[in-house]
Amino acid sequence: MADKKKKKMTPAQQKYQGLQQKHELKRPILKNCLRAFWVGGLICTIGQAVTYFYIYFFNFTEQTAGNPTVATMVFFSMLLTGFGVYDHLGQYAGAGSAVPVTGFGNAVISAAIEHRTEGFVLGVGGNMFKLAGSVILFGVFSAFVVALIKTILIQWGVL
Amino acid sequence: MRISLHIVLFIVLGLAGCSQNESKESELALIKKTDPNPVLIDENTKGNLDLVANIKEAIASYKEIYDVAVVKGKKETLVVYKVKHLQRFHMKKIEKKIKEKLEKKFPDEKFTVSSDYKIFLEAVKLNEKMQKLDYSEKKANKRLKEIIKLKQEMA
Repeated sequence: MADKKKKKMTPAQQKYQGLQQKHELKRPILKNCLRAFWVGGLICTIGQAVTYFYIYFFNFTEQTAGNPTVATMVFFSMLLTGFGVYDHLGQYAGAGSAVPVTGFGNAVISAAIEHRTEGFVLGVGGNMFKLAGSVILFGVFSAFVVALIKTILIQWGVL
Repeated sequence: MRISLHIVLFIVLGLAGCSQNESKESELALIKKTDPNPVLIDENTKGNLDLVANIKEAIASYKEIYDVAVVKGKKETLVVYKVKHLQRFHMKKIEKKIKEKLEKKFPDEKFTVSSDYKIFLEAVKLNEKMQKLDYSEKKANKRLKEIIKLKQEMA
């Protein structure tokens, strides 16, 4: 594909691309991976501490503690996004801060902040779930499909 | 970054600060091996004492498990254990295996088997409460019933 594109270019364009590649900064993949690993791991460790908090001080079991933990982590990341901290964290850690559930809270609030000038209804309300809406839609739909498969398997006596 | 550091500190200090009234064993029951003694909330006979000790021994022999708590009430017996980290993929299989073994070995007992940390923690707390003189058998049986009910609750 790249070669095909290159063939279509004029000699001047090819020369320019060569020059551009020479001066282009290389992506520090290993450094990015390490940063994502430790920040993502730290977020998950905090999540585990929150789970233990709910198990220890409230009447939640390991199975039920997941729901309030997710809600708490999303709430924390929403607050941090509002304070402008999560943006810096996202810039530093990349996927390490976007992949855990805290990234969801960040996606909701950052879209809301971005469109605040357009008004509360059409701006904030209309754009709040611009990014996170697809996550909710496919999350709910895939959960429905999995639940349907599980119900059928239980009915058949497989599980 | 400083605010997030404050929040982390708040959680850690909150977790550490709220637990002053608990005794040490249940405080650390979630993170380290406590190996609590079996609890008997029934007639204190030699037969019953041997029974709870045998139940604990039978379960502790599994290599996938590292901490076992046994609470024998009047009607039901609660068996809780912690599964080794890499064996947690086979939790359901282990639970089935243990339940089958217990029912085969002790057919007269009614067992509730769990690997949940919360149930383990509550079993350890009940053990500690039982050591206090003013904690009646009736209260202990009621608490055991509540723990078993909590185990049966689904998300």
